[in-house]
Amino acid sequence: MKLLGRLFWAAVACAAAFCLGGIALNRGEHINSIWLVLAAACTYAIGYRFYGRFIAARVMTLDDQRATPAERLRNGHDFEPTNKWIVFGHHFAAIAGPGPLVGPVLAAQFGYLPGTLWIIIGAVVGGAVQDFVILFASMRRDGKSLGQMAREEIGKVGGFIALVTVLLIMIILLAVVGLVVVNALKGSPWGTFTIAATMPIALFMGLYLRYWRPGKVLECSAIGFVLVMASIFTGQAVGQSPDLAPVFTLSAMALAVGIILYGFLASSLPVWLLLAPRDYLSTFVKLGVVLMLGIGILFVRPELQLPAFTRFVDGSGPIFAGKVFPFCFITIACGAVSGFHSLISSGTTPKMIARESHAWPVGYGSMLLESFVAIMAMIAACVLQPGVYFAVNSPAGVVGATPAAAVATISAWGFPVTVTDMTSLARDVGETTLFSRTGGAPSLALGMAHIFARSGGGQAVIGFWYHFAIMFEALFILTIIDAGTRVGRFMLQDLLGHISKPLGRTSWMPGVIATSALVVGGWGYFLIQGVRDPLGGINSLWPLFGISNQLLASIALCVATTILLKMHGAKFMWITCVPLVWLVSATFTAAWQKIFSPIPALGFLAQADGLEAALRAGKAANAAAAQTLIFNARLDAVVCGVFMVLVAVVLIDSLRVWAGILNGSREAQVNEAPFVLTQLRAEEL
Amino acid sequence: MSGLRRFGKLVLALLRELADENAYQRHLQQHGRQASGEEWRRFSEERLRAKYARAKCC
Repeated sequence: MKLLGRLFWAAVACAAAFCLGGIALNRGEHINSIWLVLAAACTYAIGYRFYGRFIAARVMTLDDQRATPAERLRNGHDFEPTNKWIVFGHHFAAIAGPGPLVGPVLAAQFGYLPGTLWIIIGAVVGGAVQDFVILFASMRRDGKSLGQMAREEIGKVGGFIALVTVLLIMIILLAVVGLVVVNALKGSPWGTFTIAATMPIALFMGLYLRYWRPGKVLECSAIGFVLVMASIFTGQAVGQSPDLAPVFTLSAMALAVGIILYGFLASSLPVWLLLAPRDYLSTFVKLGVVLMLGIGILFVRPELQLPAFTRFVDGSGPIFAGKVFPFCFITIACGAVSGFHSLISSGTTPKMIARESHAWPVGYGSMLLESFVAIMAMIAACVLQPGVYFAVNSPAGVVGATPAAAVATISAWGFPVTVTDMTSLARDVGETTLFSRTGGAPSLALGMAHIFARSGGGQAVIGFWYHFAIMFEALFILTIIDAGTRVGRFMLQDLLGHISKPLGRTSWMPGVIATSALVVGGWGYFLIQGVRDPLGGINSLWPLFGISNQLLASIALCVATTILLKMHGAKFMWITCVPLVWLVSATFTAAWQKIFSPIPALGFLAQADGLEAALRAGKAANAAAAQTLIFNARLDAVVCGVFMVLVAVVLIDSLRVWAGILNGSREAQVNEAPFVLTQLRAEEL
Repeated sequence: MSGLRRFGKLVLALLRELADENAYQRHLQQHGRQASGEEWRRFSEERLRAKYARAKCC
């Protein structure tokens, strides 16, 4: 490296250290969000340039002379050598979901510091490494999936468990994101109308694409976007109409039932009619809004109102119970380390990589960008006044059912807020109330609206921006619900096909309906459970989702470690073992506490026992509801236990394989596709 | 100016890729066919079937 280069990187490293030190050591005064942006950007730059490059050059020995599966198996569909920045954008669009937006907002209950450090360090050392190594492994194995690689590298048990774990995660994921939408739209005629309007808009787009302008996806999406924007404006009029507002003012239960029915229909209807056009539109809106938020933060440079740490690091948090370790690290999954990314890294992306070296920006770099999105979400949450943040995110079961009780409780925690503040804010954004709008989406929308409004338009347009942000979140969450239900159905049909052949056929309508109903019934049950939960549902469902997602990451890191061990012996095992050990420690501790903690707000079994004692003492107001809550708490404990057992089996199986390789009793056979010299010319890229 | 134009082209290419329009062009070229409603329906059915058989990220 030339002297100038060395000086440049030394300056970036100093800036990273200075900014990280600044945000970590600052106490007692508000900090500007630009510190977080700079700390993240400089750390990512150092991580990408040095750690990512070290893994690419020394560990994976990426070789541009070696033909990738995109070239060797080129078929014009899945396998196609593609420009690296296009693959980068494609991969980023695939991995960016609601997780990096919602997780940091919820974890902000500990203050901005724990979540921010985890997002930055977790991504550089864990998440980006996982995504990169799995992408590389899949690329060297003709684009094989994580399950296939687990079967080949560890054993049949690993492959089967990966499949079952993914199916279970899908059920919990769909329930929890469904709950986020329900809590964002309950009692909100403006928001409900806007989201309801996206259904006919998607149907129109489906017909437009199929019959009127076949193949014109960009044109069709532009029309869809204009119609969605028009629906936001119309939604405001609907919300103010004495006749229409009551029609679109729905309870949480009514919305949950609506989403369940929608999921069933979307899973059974032809994919071109509803799912695909909505997916195209939500992808473009998602990328556009992320870009807008980034520009908005740089333009406004808002001050963070939440402190570095809150009193809730002790585990008494109102949004979800549990201490900062381990719960901060499972609440933020997708912005730091996400097991789900390993499915994308071993899905479409490895089939598009033209040169092996492109896996570095695509695998490692995309995850850093995703992590940056999580930092932006953290900033959006922390620019709110702490009292407002807790009033929006705390369930009524914790802070009290009336506005007066809620502000009294929250103010007593040291976060002053008044009923007048909350009423005025709700009026500004066109809502009846903002109390106990749990799930993260409304507070994220408030933070985003605050940033967008300060970028231009001021308070006069804050209502529009709030509903724009709600539309953006709900639009791609609903896309995940319909696509996820469909994928879950395929996976279930795949499993059931071994028992009954017709059930495995995706064209057999009774099988399609039965398996769709089973999958929808699965996540729908947990969604209803979340709606009925007096603690708001997020307290139980989000940790379950975080635990399951991080456990999937543990499986992916087991596969990655096995591959590195076969390639180099023990020399580079630490690269994947460090995040693996951390994740296993955090997730197993969290899962254990969620099941066995004696604190009812935290432990599922303690919660069930407490309710049962109240029932026996005749103190339960509604015996049937209490019975349901007891059953649900025990069911959650079982689900959590199943996750732990499944991953423990993969871990033990992996340890057995690693021990065998290290003591020489097992052959360290690398299952890569044979080397073929590339024929691709530079101009083809 | 040329750098800006190149960047614009790249963004458009990314949008076309995300919209499956590039994949459709490749499909037409590979099979030596002309764009038509029937062809698009054939292509998109196959494309979407594969696309929605995979898990979508959280």
